[in-house]
Amino acid sequence: MDVDRVDAVIVGAGPSGAVTARRLADAGMSVVCLEQGGWPDYSKARAGFPDFELVARKHWDWNPNTRRAPGDYPVDDGDSDITALMYNGVGGSAVMYAAHWERFLPSDFRVRTLDGVADDWPVTYEDLEPYFDEVERQFAVSGLEGDPALPPATAPPLPPVPLNKVGRRGAEALNRLGWHWWPGSNAIATKDYGRLHACAQSTACPFGCPVGAKASPDRTHWPDLVADGVRLVTGARVRELVTTASGLVDGVGYVDHDGVERIQRAQVVILCANAIGTPRILLNSGLANSSGLVGRRLMMHPFGNAIGIFDEDLESWRGPLGQHLHSLQFYETDVARGFVRGAKWNLLPSGAPLSMMLPGLWGTEGSWGEDFHTALRARLGRSAIWTVICEDLPDESNRVVLDPDTVDAAGVPGVRIEYRTSENARAMMDFHLTKLELVLREMGATQTILNGHIRASGWHLMGTAVMGRDPATSVVDPVGRCHDVPNLFVLDGSTFPTSSGVNPTATIAANALRCADALVRDRAAQVVPA
Amino acid sequence: MTAIAPDLRAVLAGIADVLIPAAQGMPSATEAGVPEALLDEVVRARPDLAAPLVEVLTAVATDDAATAVARLRAGAVPGFDTVAVVVAGGYLMSPRVMAELGYPGQEAKIVDPDDVIRTLHDGLLDPVIERGPIYRPTPGTGESR
Ligand SMILES: Cc1cc2nc3c(=O)[nH]c(=O)nc-3n(C[C@H](O)[C@H](O)[C@H](O)COP(=O)(O)OP(=O)(O)OC[C@H]3O[C@@H](n4cnc5c(N)ncnc54)[C@H](O)[C@@H]3O)c2cc1C
Ligand code: SF4
Repeated sequence: MDVDRVDAVIVGAGPSGAVTARRLADAGMSVVCLEQGGWPDYSKARAGFPDFELVARKHWDWNPNTRRAPGDYPVDDGDSDITALMYNGVGGSAVMYAAHWERFLPSDFRVRTLDGVADDWPVTYEDLEPYFDEVERQFAVSGLEGDPALPPATAPPLPPVPLNKVGRRGAEALNRLGWHWWPGSNAIATKDYGRLHACAQSTACPFGCPVGAKASPDRTHWPDLVADGVRLVTGARVRELVTTASGLVDGVGYVDHDGVERIQRAQVVILCANAIGTPRILLNSGLANSSGLVGRRLMMHPFGNAIGIFDEDLESWRGPLGQHLHSLQFYETDVARGFVRGAKWNLLPSGAPLSMMLPGLWGTEGSWGEDFHTALRARLGRSAIWTVICEDLPDESNRVVLDPDTVDAAGVPGVRIEYRTSENARAMMDFHLTKLELVLREMGATQTILNGHIRASGWHLMGTAVMGRDPATSVVDPVGRCHDVPNLFVLDGSTFPTSSGVNPTATIAANALRCADALVRDRAAQVVPA
Repeated sequence: MTAIAPDLRAVLAGIADVLIPAAQGMPSATEAGVPEALLDEVVRARPDLAAPLVEVLTAVATDDAATAVARLRAGAVPGFDTVAVVVAGGYLMSPRVMAELGYPGQEAKIVDPDDVIRTLHDGLLDPVIERGPIYRPTPGTGESR
């Protein structure tokens, strides 16, 4: 055998790549992971320093087009209602995620059967259940067992983050309304756990956790994986898949950090590059697309929020920007509302002051002159934010395509996204914001600000290499293997047939582990290049 | 790093005090030091802001401060976003401003892992639990709500 050939090459060092690498390495497989970015620079995680928000607005900007870090590639979003957000580096987008950790619900896997729309998944909640349990241990999940919005489940390894004054006020209001809530589930350590430290409540989670309390794979997985012999190559931009005459893949072609073109040969290739990066590689390789569905069915979760301002000091600059609590009161379908499926709400502290004073979510103009002081005093420490995540149904015209006009630093083509928010999601958002205004009033808010359909909100990327049993209507099979190329796998959120209305990473990680488990189990029968 | 010359700092001072005047017991932007030491700190944190700031201040250098702000806010001169982030960002870095606001600035307070458990003892979750399951089970699993 070629000495440079490994058992598996994984593209992408985010949650799906990390979970997959762990499973394969534990099975004794030789693994190389190629990651286009570098390690996160936590010297730029400035929570607690006066320049925190200024640095966050550039270095931790969620939009790769604004951030322009070395690992980023161009994403033309000019023709999209939502911009795609991500982090390209070791840890993947979880370096930036807010760490809200939500299992998809049983109905999410059966939307065709239950609600007559989109597609059922080829697997069920019950199939994923043991994998949810395992990834919750890997990602230091803190939460409280017994949520009646979900089937009974194993307790997460750590107790939940505090409710603080904001959460308690929200919980009491929902109790008075008779509506569901439950303490938040977050991939945030509430006690020292493995390599993580207990959270210091700096509301900095999506801007680089300085404490090392938030579970992102650069902290939870990669140091141990590297110690265990997995080779992680940073600054490695994968351009395309390398094929054999017999229709298999033989590895991947990439440009290393010195600009040298290289090939990494492997028995199997596993794409974990997220629902923008994975179709980019597949389309650039012209592979796995006999269904014509590669890049199509992009789902990004239409997102809105409802901000309340209160007379009392709630110390709302403190807390995790993980969630104090969530509510799934209006999650399940009720067709009388005029739309199908539903949305999740969660309650957050409002954090540091600069974001409250600049044009954006708190007002299109900003407040200036004497109003600056009025607004600042009213908001800082006295405000709370409810967010709304709407289920996004798949639509083949929402898609990722290669962009003929742009390339990344290594000359690999960029992408363009074409995406329109559906009428169903618009009706859903209106309904949920109306309900949340009621909740805020019940909480005692003296002012409310409602933001429907925030454009810069595409942090949940799914759907562009859909899984299914039929090669005519899906790209990969139920364990992530490409129908067209039997030693090529996709194990990230690209394979999701539907998006649910909750944050996806718990399910992305659990599904990656389920598929990696199948790959290990079926290893003897795996076809590989000669 | 692009240096910001004294004459442009004077332009910034005028604009900054229109945007953030002294009021409600709070200092004005210049009283807080926005065009001086705080500007240096802003540029140290965000070197990428220096060149666009110089450009926009130069473009309005001959206006009086109120006119400059009006033109910037109306979009007649581009770059209001840059000025806004420098002025508000610098102002909110001031220790004096933070003290006046009673804002401790992300002081670390390690989470109390027993907080929610104590809350449970108060019965806060009881009504939620009493209402029972609200999810729709997987069809065919035999579970019902
Ligand atoms: C600001 C923000 C907040 C979020 N908040 C939450 C939240 O609270 N809860 C939640 O569940 N989810 C959240 N998410 C989403 C979450 O981060 C993702 O669902 C998760 O990271 C997906 O994991 P992944 O491994 O599939 O992909 P990613 O984490 O995106 O990792 C993909 C990796 O592949 C690499 N890659 C891509 N293309 C190539 C290539 N050609 N060559 C080499 N490497 C490549 C990328 O550099 C990247 O590191 C958030 C995301 C953002 C951006
Ligand atoms: S709130 Fe906790 S998890 Fe979030 S950034 Fe601060 S220490 Fe990290």
